[in-house]
Amino acid sequence: MPNQFTKVKWIILAALTAGLGTVPIWGTDYAMLFFMLFCIYLALAQMWNLLAGYSGLISLGQQSFVGLGGYTLAVLSSYYGINIWTGVGLGGLASVLLALFMSLFIFRMKGVYFAIGTWIFAEALLVWFSNWAYVKYGSGLFIKPTNELSMEAIYAAAFVVGAGSVALVYILLRSRLGLGLMAMRDDDQVAETLGVEVFRSKLYCFLISAFVTGITAGIFYVFQIFIQPYKAFAIDWTVKLVFMVIIGGIGTIEGPIVGALLYVLLSQFLAEYFSVSMLILGGIAIVVILVAPKGIMGTLQEKLGLEVLSPRRF
Amino acid sequence: MQDNSALNVNGINVFYDDFHALWDISLEVGQGEIVSIIGSNGSGKSTLLNAIAGQLIPRTGVISYFGETISGLPPHETVARGMALVPEGRRVFPRLTVFENLFMGSYPSKARKNREHSLKNIYELFPRLEERQNQMADTLSGGEQQMLAIGRALMSEPKVLLCDEISLGLAPIVIKGIYQKIKHINELGLTIILVEQDITRSLKAADRAYILLEGKVVLAGKPSILTEERVKKAYFGI
Amino acid sequence: MEGLAQDILNGLLLGGLYAIVAIGLSTIFGIVRLVNLAHGDLMILAAYLSLFMAAALGISPLLTLVAIIPIMFAIGYILQRFLLNRVLGEEMEPPLLVAFGVSIILQNFMLMTFTPDARSLMSDLSLMTFALGGNLSVPVLYLIDFCIASAVIVGQHYFLQYTYMGRGIRAASDDKYAAKLMGVNTQNTYAVAMGIAIMTAGVAGVLVGMTFTFYPHSGPQYLIIAFGVVVIGGLGSMKGTFFGGLILALAQILGARVFGPGYQLLCGYVVLLIVLAIRPQGILGRG
Repeated sequence: MPNQFTKVKWIILAALTAGLGTVPIWGTDYAMLFFMLFCIYLALAQMWNLLAGYSGLISLGQQSFVGLGGYTLAVLSSYYGINIWTGVGLGGLASVLLALFMSLFIFRMKGVYFAIGTWIFAEALLVWFSNWAYVKYGSGLFIKPTNELSMEAIYAAAFVVGAGSVALVYILLRSRLGLGLMAMRDDDQVAETLGVEVFRSKLYCFLISAFVTGITAGIFYVFQIFIQPYKAFAIDWTVKLVFMVIIGGIGTIEGPIVGALLYVLLSQFLAEYFSVSMLILGGIAIVVILVAPKGIMGTLQEKLGLEVLSPRRF
Repeated sequence: MQDNSALNVNGINVFYDDFHALWDISLEVGQGEIVSIIGSNGSGKSTLLNAIAGQLIPRTGVISYFGETISGLPPHETVARGMALVPEGRRVFPRLTVFENLFMGSYPSKARKNREHSLKNIYELFPRLEERQNQMADTLSGGEQQMLAIGRALMSEPKVLLCDEISLGLAPIVIKGIYQKIKHINELGLTIILVEQDITRSLKAADRAYILLEGKVVLAGKPSILTEERVKKAYFGI
Repeated sequence: MEGLAQDILNGLLLGGLYAIVAIGLSTIFGIVRLVNLAHGDLMILAAYLSLFMAAALGISPLLTLVAIIPIMFAIGYILQRFLLNRVLGEEMEPPLLVAFGVSIILQNFMLMTFTPDARSLMSDLSLMTFALGGNLSVPVLYLIDFCIASAVIVGQHYFLQYTYMGRGIRAASDDKYAAKLMGVNTQNTYAVAMGIAIMTAGVAGVLVGMTFTFYPHSGPQYLIIAFGVVVIGGLGSMKGTFFGGLILALAQILGARVFGPGYQLLCGYVVLLIVLAIRPQGILGRG
């Protein structure tokens, strides 16, 4: 019986994914916009979840990679006329290098100190970019694609990172690295005695999440066309990611999917009332932490044993 | 029904989440008695003391203290009523001095008025503590920390003293000294419950004893009728 | 070299202000192991409250402290007792995230209620200075900040060292289980500790509001200052907090002098990150 259920499950998933990928064909322009944003936030949320939900690294500074990824793209496309998608890729690369540099400092820190360390880096970058003549200070930069880019192309890119991030996390968690992570999540020190390389595992996850975040940001800014420091490096990015993952279910693969969907829905409804939407989001997140700390999918998993994308091997 | 006992535990069941730690435990401690609760590791001795003190709430059963039901009250309420627990492992406040630890012992409002008087008594009982009164508690030896833990508990002017494994990790000669003090305190009128792994020592000191095994009382009575043979059998569950 | 002495003097005085900004965060982190990410926002909330009170009653912002102090204590007490106490456990994430949520709620609430305009607690004191001789002048406001900050920090130190409640707070932070055995109601104790922390944040907020302009989103920048002071100076000591405040203020002011005013914040961050990397327990902290 489990086998039949599994087959049905995968068929449904494949159908949903195909549906998501083909929105430009069957959907309205508005639907394209909606699902594009969904894919982007999904990728960002999956990465935050990879860190906080599986590696025990609470990052309050993902915006560092968002900003750097976006600015790398902007500078390369605007000043040097480099192909857009190459620019996006290089943005991801720059983010990895940044993450490597950051790790020299913050990987010595534990828990809370790590979290705030990531935030401080982001704030430092914000100040730096706001005062940097090369990127036109706080006035911002335009992203200039060398050739005409269709909305469909941008959507395709977003879909690739969105669905790709889910697949990436799934595969990662089923790998040897993932086994180590799951052990670490339960007990750091015991995992170490069993030979799990705690430090290296965490570092890999940090670098991977930086890369995907950087690339995703690039795609976002291809769409936005304009980037400014105070928005690109703002803590707002982290705020949204935290809420998405907490409400959706931290430490589950499905959680960020649900969270991203809810967030994009909510932000569309409350588009005019930005502050109110943030307030509501904050309130919901607090209630969720108090009442159902595992989030929607986590609680469903716990109570009903419902696990759609299980990283478990049996 | 007149209840003259200092402490009356009646059929309590205590759980840690789903783990059933204490099964229908009943025991009675009369005023001025020294009662020993003996058992190996995992038999439930500390759980029992924690339940009496209010750190754990029994799922069923009643604990009464001088006739008043106290099961379900939090620790600061049982302390206010005159119960004091010397915890397993001493657990003195490491970043406070000896004096400050004792000071903390008189935290309940009733005890605050007599703080100076109580302090003098403790220093008389344990002169070593007076010598070290301004030292940080984590610089004391094991035996001194035990004395501090007992002294701290006494500062709240308790009527019932619960002692959780006070001989653990101490040299025999130190243990002997501490037990002498325990007897002395008891002679002054304090009811004492001793939880111990050391069978001989606690049987010698006690008026009555209970033997616990896997969360149940398997043997009880005065030391005179508890032969070494019977106790060992009960202790090991043979 | 002109103006260097003045900069150093300003740095010293500003260090006092930074110290009081940090003391609340330090206290709560040292006692309950909770990083109150809403610390900065609560400071700004106090600044807004003071603004409206001062305007409504036509009094100096300093006088509003009489009301602000008990109000902020109550807010801190309630926040801890009914919200944060519930998520305190073994894991560090839930309290951190709840505090984060509170921070966001506060910021957006203030944005909606008070508008995004820049504000300031102006008073006659804002522009006064007096000469100290040798080309040095002391901004009166900075001096007042320093004096009030010192009074609050020293006062809190005495409270924690010598009173029953203060010792109870320290005991509960050392060993919650044993403290309960002493009759300490730890739920209440933690709430009192938070009440004190937010109260000092309130005073800090009013002082900050008098000294600099503030916006609804100014909270996080003061949170980072507080964190910087705690990291540099070390947790749990009064001396450390003053020292940390001093170093951070000097780093910022001297940094602005050398690199330009836009880099003021950045210099602070860099010093912070370096200390975090080399000696995370703080220069004066216990290892």
